[in-house]
Amino acid sequence: MYKYKASKDTGSKSWILQRITGLALVVLMIGHYILMHFQPESGHTYAAVLARMQFSWYRIIDLTFITLGMYHGLNGIWNIFRDYKLKQWAKISILSALIILGLAFTAWGYSVIFSIPYINSISGN
Amino acid sequence: MENDTNSGNTYHKIKTFDQKNWVSENLNYKKDSGSRAWILHRISGIALVAYLFLHIYSISPLTQGEVAFNNKMQTYSSPFFMVVEWFLFAFVLFHALNGIRIVIVDWADGAKYHKQLYRLSWVFGVILFLAMGAIMFAHELKNLF
Repeated sequence: MYKYKASKDTGSKSWILQRITGLALVVLMIGHYILMHFQPESGHTYAAVLARMQFSWYRIIDLTFITLGMYHGLNGIWNIFRDYKLKQWAKISILSALIILGLAFTAWGYSVIFSIPYINSISGN
Repeated sequence: MENDTNSGNTYHKIKTFDQKNWVSENLNYKKDSGSRAWILHRISGIALVAYLFLHIYSISPLTQGEVAFNNKMQTYSSPFFMVVEWFLFAFVLFHALNGIRIVIVDWADGAKYHKQLYRLSWVFGVILFLAMGAIMFAHELKNLF
């Protein structure tokens, strides 16, 4: 009997997510570039970042950006590896390395964003 | 011989392994816009993931306060880093425009005109790349002329 031992997952979910996240990243990237390079100061001084981060919406957008970028990027890398016939142990170690690396750097990015303080403007600063 | 025009006769054209140039003739991708887009998409994708890690590292001095962050940003604002950023934008552009092309091929019957889309993405890419250069180096360009 021909019985596939591979997973039943055809990869269609990963395929569609890759397209959706990709399109979202294009939109986010346009905003990112306008913000960072149209006025170079806005991306390169602490005061500007601090002022921007007073709006929680900017934080939410940045967190989304990191998450989507990390998912899209590492899923893309994994898709490259999937093009080659890999031994099971190689698959497992590459995938876990990518997941650990992705989670670690996402957490690092999150912690950087969360470390930026909210300045309480009511207290008279 | 009368079957030569039929599609079932392609077996005769498959070369054997002991032929000298078998690999280059059979295992090489055809150098066409589709395969160029494919390999460039991969290369730019890998570069962008590497940059994403680097980017999280490079903005992490935000946690160390204003002085440390501004010092770091000063080094990243040097002409060398600006040129590197400009070429990074080229990678972003190619990946984004070709990504849009891939979505059109997948979802909007773009397979019929994917070569035109490839050329169009290059046209848009070069224009946006030069426009970004003009914006980024506006100050330097003003000093030159």
